[in-house]
Amino acid sequence: MSRPDWIVLALTLSGIIAYGLYKGRATKDLDGYFLSNRTVPWYMVLLGIMGTQASAVTFLSAPGQAYTDGMRFVQYYFGLPLAMVVVCISFVPIFHRLKVYTAYEFLERRFDLKTRTLTSFLFLVQRGMSTGISIAAPSIILSSLLGWNLLWTTIFMGGLLIVYTVSGGAKAVAYTQQLQMIIIFSGLAIAGYVVVHKLPPGVGLSDILHIGGKAGKMNIITTGFGGNGGGFDGKHGGFDGKHGGFDWNDRYNLLSGIIGGFFLALSYFGTDQSQVGRYLTARSLRESRLGLLLNGLVKVPMQFGILLLGVMVFAFYHFNREPVFFNRSQLELLAHTKYKDSLAAVTSKYEALEKERLSLLAVGADSRLAVREDSKLTIQADVRLTEIGREKTDIRATIRRWLDDRTVGGDSNDTNYIFLRFVTDYLPSGLVGLLIAVIFLAAWGSIAATLNSLASCTIVDFHRRFAPGGLTVEKEYRLSQLYTLFWGIFCVAVAQLTYGLGNSLIEAVNVLGSLFYGVILGVFLVAFYRKRVGGHAVFISAVVTETGVIVLNMLSRKGIVSLSFLWFNVVGAVGVVVLSEVLQTVIGSKVDSRAGDPAIEGRSAQRSD
Amino acid sequence: MDTGNNDRERAPLFGKWGYWYALVIGFLLCCILVFDFLTKHFS
Repeated sequence: MSRPDWIVLALTLSGIIAYGLYKGRATKDLDGYFLSNRTVPWYMVLLGIMGTQASAVTFLSAPGQAYTDGMRFVQYYFGLPLAMVVVCISFVPIFHRLKVYTAYEFLERRFDLKTRTLTSFLFLVQRGMSTGISIAAPSIILSSLLGWNLLWTTIFMGGLLIVYTVSGGAKAVAYTQQLQMIIIFSGLAIAGYVVVHKLPPGVGLSDILHIGGKAGKMNIITTGFGGNGGGFDGKHGGFDGKHGGFDWNDRYNLLSGIIGGFFLALSYFGTDQSQVGRYLTARSLRESRLGLLLNGLVKVPMQFGILLLGVMVFAFYHFNREPVFFNRSQLELLAHTKYKDSLAAVTSKYEALEKERLSLLAVGADSRLAVREDSKLTIQADVRLTEIGREKTDIRATIRRWLDDRTVGGDSNDTNYIFLRFVTDYLPSGLVGLLIAVIFLAAWGSIAATLNSLASCTIVDFHRRFAPGGLTVEKEYRLSQLYTLFWGIFCVAVAQLTYGLGNSLIEAVNVLGSLFYGVILGVFLVAFYRKRVGGHAVFISAVVTETGVIVLNMLSRKGIVSLSFLWFNVVGAVGVVVLSEVLQTVIGSKVDSRAGDPAIEGRSAQRSD
Repeated sequence: MDTGNNDRERAPLFGKWGYWYALVIGFLLCCILVFDFLTKHFS
């Protein structure tokens, strides 16, 4: 990075820390520290919700995902808008009415202490671990690509935000997230503009989409029937079922996105304290709801835009020299192994292929190359380009195979490096620093909210509940700061421990949530909609179903069961609801007295619109 | 009259939740149709 990049990076990060410290300076009690005194307007709730959900990996891997796998990842968010409405109707009013600090407090009033403790414990374990991995993933990427020291990168990634999060609590988190999201969107918009600006003259958005489409990147809608790429027409495996059945192991398709995504979003926004803690800071129930509902409407277009950036980068490399492997450090690793000579040979061959490809494209018509029907490329040139593409794919597969070799121990997945490699190679001085700052800010927004929620669960669901003796307001506040600090150090330590375990753990952060979310959601669904079910039945059901989901995941990883992780949310939620109903019938039909609590039952007089 | 309860049941902007259901389902359908068009047109 150049000096202007360092200046932009340092100014942005220190500015955010100073802003967080300034905004959170008046916080002195638990209400202020965890709920921002319930004074936050709807637009800050919206930005807080978005900033908490979108981690650094979201902005790093989504464009890379579109580059390699196409845009079908957007379907992952199709269940979210509907889930927002359900959360607003069923979950939010009860949390507001009971004036809880954590979502799990409600479960003690509805069921019993053990159910509250179990769900809060599952949240702490899952979130603590996944946040550690969320710190590790971008740290590895930045340190590999920029040659930074890994320990210091991790401390900057997961440690600096502790300064304002510990000091200012939820208020500092909310205000910094607002600023962070504005900088993030500005950074990405500038990056998108630069990509288009760097394309050959006359090449526009339509050409970009044609280039992406020709390479299979515009697979936005897939049905999951009969393999990838199935559209509604049935030509590539549609709903007609003639071309093969539904692929349950396919991660991103219309059905898994709507159903699995709905359950995941319902669980994440309704029961995950890192999100509940954001909208509980709103100044009223209406403001909480408005933030959530608008999040449902902006999330799909936003994700579409980020994925489109990946297709734009793909189109850019159509006209420019594409690296043989986007993670430079892995090529350097291979250069010091037994594959040194072979690597030199395939790299040289790759360079020759790229040179030939670009010269063939240059012969074509006015840069609108090989993508449109009006392309003036000759048939021979078109055939040769296809051959070159195939040879390049073979070379990359060879390099991946070498990296997967146990004696090398490399990382064969370079998807997360694609966007940042483009940024560092082609963006002008100053903008590189801004985009690196975007990665840091995305990480900070998400981690700061999580640390605040981990601390709130620890003090409210455990310390207050189990530690003997009362606490003064001052002591509770100081203790909350200490717990935030503890979780910050814990997550950075988890990040350090994950480095030796390789890339698979980065992927695990996505799967980890789905292992627990379904069960926690099931407990809440029973609490809201199955009034006759009591604490014992739901507790046993949650333990049994959680064990079942973990076993299912192990069977899936071994290939015995074919089920994508999004479906674990459905299995967990439905499992708890069904099992608790059965158990309640077996144990006895005694109605839990707390289900009649007017504060909990508040929706009994609801209209039927 | 329990105005607090009415506030709780009242949906933001439109008053009724049915409108929000219609809006998000309509929005999702529009997204799917536009995306499906883009998928077919550019493949």
